[in-house]
Amino acid sequence: MTGNGRNDLRATALAPTEARHRRQTGNGRVPSSAAALAGMTGLAVTAEGKQPVAQGLLRRADLLAKLDQALTRKVTIISAPPGSGKTSLLRTWSESAAEEVRAAFVSVQRDQTDAQQFWLAVREAIHQSTDKTPERQTPVPAFDGDAEVARIVSELAEQSGPVVLIIDDLHELHSDEALLGLERLLADMPSSNRAVLSTRRDPRLRLSRLRLAGEVAELRANDLRFSEQETRDVLAASSISLSDAGAGALHQRAEGWAAGIRLAALSLRGHHDPERFVAEFSGTDRAIGEYLMAEMLGGQPREVRSMLLRTSIVERLNGELADLLASRSGSEQMLLELEDANAFVMSLDPRRTWFRYHHLLADFLRLELRRTSAGEIPDLHRQASRWFADHGHVVEAVRHALAARDWPGAARLVADHSFGWVLDGEAGTISAVLQAFPEGASADHPDLALAHAANELNQGRLEEAAAQLALAESHVQDVPPRRRRRLTVAIASLRLGLARRSGQFTEVIEQVNLLDASIADESNELNGMDDELRGVALLNLGIVETWSGRLLDAERHLSAGAALAQTIGRPYLEVACRAHQGFPSKLVTVAAARARGLEAVALAERHGLDDRPILAPALGAVAAMDLWMGEFDEAERWLDRAWQIAEPHIDPATAVLLHVTAGMLHAGRGQHEAALGDFTAAAQAQSLLTGVHTLAPLIAGWLAATQARLGMTEKASQTLDEFSGNPDHKGATHNARAVICMAVGDPDAALDALRELEDDDIPVFTLVETHLLAGLAHLSLGDRNAAAAAAELALAAAEPDRLLFSFAMTESAELVDMIRRHETAHGALLADILDLLRDGAAPSTDAQRSTAAEELSPSELRVLRYLPTNLTRPEIARELYVSVNTVNTHIRNIYAKLGANDRSTAVQQARELRLLSSGSSRTTG
Amino acid sequence: MDDRQVFGQPGVYTIRINGRLGPTARSAFPSMVSEHKGSETVLTGVLEDQSALFAVVAQIEALGLELLELREVGARPRLSPDPYEERNHP
Repeated sequence: MTGNGRNDLRATALAPTEARHRRQTGNGRVPSSAAALAGMTGLAVTAEGKQPVAQGLLRRADLLAKLDQALTRKVTIISAPPGSGKTSLLRTWSESAAEEVRAAFVSVQRDQTDAQQFWLAVREAIHQSTDKTPERQTPVPAFDGDAEVARIVSELAEQSGPVVLIIDDLHELHSDEALLGLERLLADMPSSNRAVLSTRRDPRLRLSRLRLAGEVAELRANDLRFSEQETRDVLAASSISLSDAGAGALHQRAEGWAAGIRLAALSLRGHHDPERFVAEFSGTDRAIGEYLMAEMLGGQPREVRSMLLRTSIVERLNGELADLLASRSGSEQMLLELEDANAFVMSLDPRRTWFRYHHLLADFLRLELRRTSAGEIPDLHRQASRWFADHGHVVEAVRHALAARDWPGAARLVADHSFGWVLDGEAGTISAVLQAFPEGASADHPDLALAHAANELNQGRLEEAAAQLALAESHVQDVPPRRRRRLTVAIASLRLGLARRSGQFTEVIEQVNLLDASIADESNELNGMDDELRGVALLNLGIVETWSGRLLDAERHLSAGAALAQTIGRPYLEVACRAHQGFPSKLVTVAAARARGLEAVALAERHGLDDRPILAPALGAVAAMDLWMGEFDEAERWLDRAWQIAEPHIDPATAVLLHVTAGMLHAGRGQHEAALGDFTAAAQAQSLLTGVHTLAPLIAGWLAATQARLGMTEKASQTLDEFSGNPDHKGATHNARAVICMAVGDPDAALDALRELEDDDIPVFTLVETHLLAGLAHLSLGDRNAAAAAAELALAAAEPDRLLFSFAMTESAELVDMIRRHETAHGALLADILDLLRDGAAPSTDAQRSTAAEELSPSELRVLRYLPTNLTRPEIARELYVSVNTVNTHIRNIYAKLGANDRSTAVQQARELRLLSSGSSRTTG
Repeated sequence: MDDRQVFGQPGVYTIRINGRLGPTARSAFPSMVSEHKGSETVLTGVLEDQSALFAVVAQIEALGLELLELREVGARPRLSPDPYEERNHP
């Protein structure tokens, strides 16, 4: 359970530093009391090589040998009750492992429900165990567990030496998603690597395939029991002199239970009559854990006992927090001494500032505290809550506020930090925290409803998010005025977030205005609000403005949002803002827009965020800009990437962009059938939006023009008529009207349609097309001079931004060929256009495409080989170590390239094209 | 599995644990009555449903206690209108 400090304390890498020590003491694992003693007093140097940590752990040579034996298998499961010595075994093993073995040690946090937190800890531990500089792991929303596992697998494959991944306390992992991922990691990790899973209970993992392959070893409670000799070693190491009979009796009574023997040793140390202690212990029929725990605590000085009891309410503590809870000073020294005495206290970091209690001890302490001082507990939780809040560990603060039954305090903490959590992708944590509130708490605390809404929205559950938002709104008036303003802004921001996900732009115009005004007003309370809320508000505002064509406002807000995100160290937010700035406007040229898109991509790559759906608009924008400038192959690559990351949860506004771009690509290449499909899909995506997408007029125009070019002139007219509602951007529909007129053989009417336009009315993209269509109309009327003049105008309009695309789409080769014989002021541009028309668009047509499939890429070929099998898409993904999204993208491309609509047709086509050996069922490799 | 388990209705359970539990360990099972029988402890009580049952089992595990036997000795007669009323005895 950590707040903003996250995984820093939990992932501990134990490097093979003990190797030196081992060589000095002979070859290590010879069972001898000398070796055991060396282990007891041995100093382990931590991965960072800073402070030596006294471990005081017994070296159990026989058991270490058993574990070594187990590690000839890929997966080892250590399953035994608490106090069996699982963690101690793993620690001593890691320290004495051979030099080339790298141990990555992950302790699962108590009650871990958050898959992302778990995987970040795993990755961090792996990085720490290898030479790789530990990368700062950035939590992000919309975390993709599958991708994370695939990344870990590939990182393991890159390692030179084998990595032993040790996952301790696996029983604390309560995330089905994480457990499924772990199954995959175990199955897929390179065979030189090993995993050790330590747990109180047999884990809920399906390992049957590994078991059948003989790749699973187990160590159970019986294997972990101390032998009588080891019991004697423990006593000797603590300088306890006990008769042979006494040691034997102790061993028998404790039944070799590690914690029992350790507890007994703690009580015996300094006991005035050890033999009597053992006799009493052997004589009692009290439950041994409780008996020994009570004895051990009874042997501690009163102030230590009191400190232990009062600090037992927290999962981890440092000296300052312990002093606060125990109302005294000097707690840190006590904790250090307890750890040195091996008294069930352990430090969590190399510098020994954070500690936790062995779970067994913690559970007894809590019971004892409740039994003896129940009245103090709420106040202790309140103090802990305040301390954690003050130190930025918000999740812990909330948990303690809840434990103190301080609902308003907890609700306020949640409210003030929910935006930060959402940005950290701590979805599981938020859900867990929210569930801890009593039922119906949302009604009393609109802030809570808001946190719920933010969480639901982030998980893509739009209806639930809308319901929670409505609940929050209905209680705004109950909130004290001081907090009301913040709540209103948060609601407005989430409304916009919901709008951009569901495409309901028109409904949120008043929210846009409210937020815009709030953000513009420097003096208001918004400045006092948490930066996360401001950042998210700016992002949502900017995105809605982008898609509804208010590009100048969008520019202002997205730039501010990105700058803020950078200041507060929120790369995800920064990428999200920048990803929506790759569009040309009155202030931004096509080339500049493309550069911005590329910058967003580079930024995302730097932060490892380049597989997040939020980047899709940037990739789509780069593709579109490439298309305008005639770089079709380049555009296709960017567009493929955009689809790969955008699916399957693409929001409708982004879908519109990508479909239009795909349509442009096909239209530019003269593949009108394919373009028709894309523009139709774009129009469908647009119809999901209640507002008008900034690209809507272009879509209607190009859809109609494409229909006309394919001879569907009536359908084309119908398309335009249906789009009569929008008075803006007339140019696109006029152009389409002209294309229809040309298609029915009426160039005069086409010219009439185009003449209605004034140059100033229409964006330059459309204007180039307008001039070209006019030129083509003149040409077919035989008026070559007018045609040449129109073509020259098109060149002039296209020149500043190098807008080559319209020349390809309108198939203006003849027109352009003609202009070459005249003088032109745009020679260089003209040369580029001629190149494009010759290489890009002209030769390839739908007819050719259907007979000879476009070449499949190597990765598409790899996927293709699995199509004849009965593997499902997720299974194919698993075989290839890629995400299901990637497989979906490849399959879609395969279908498109083979002209197939389903799997069996694709297989048939592939066989005919000899892409598959006929009858081959499955090729691996 | 009878209806009672399917619908998660309360049942009376006895749980045998190795060793005599002292006051600290006993306080971990506030909803159950504990008796010492020889060198064992027997916890008896009404558990609302399976999840209450598993909470008790988890507590036994967490304290490092040895579970010897767990038995449902009968359905709890629905005499009391308040299902929680009887859970408050020591």
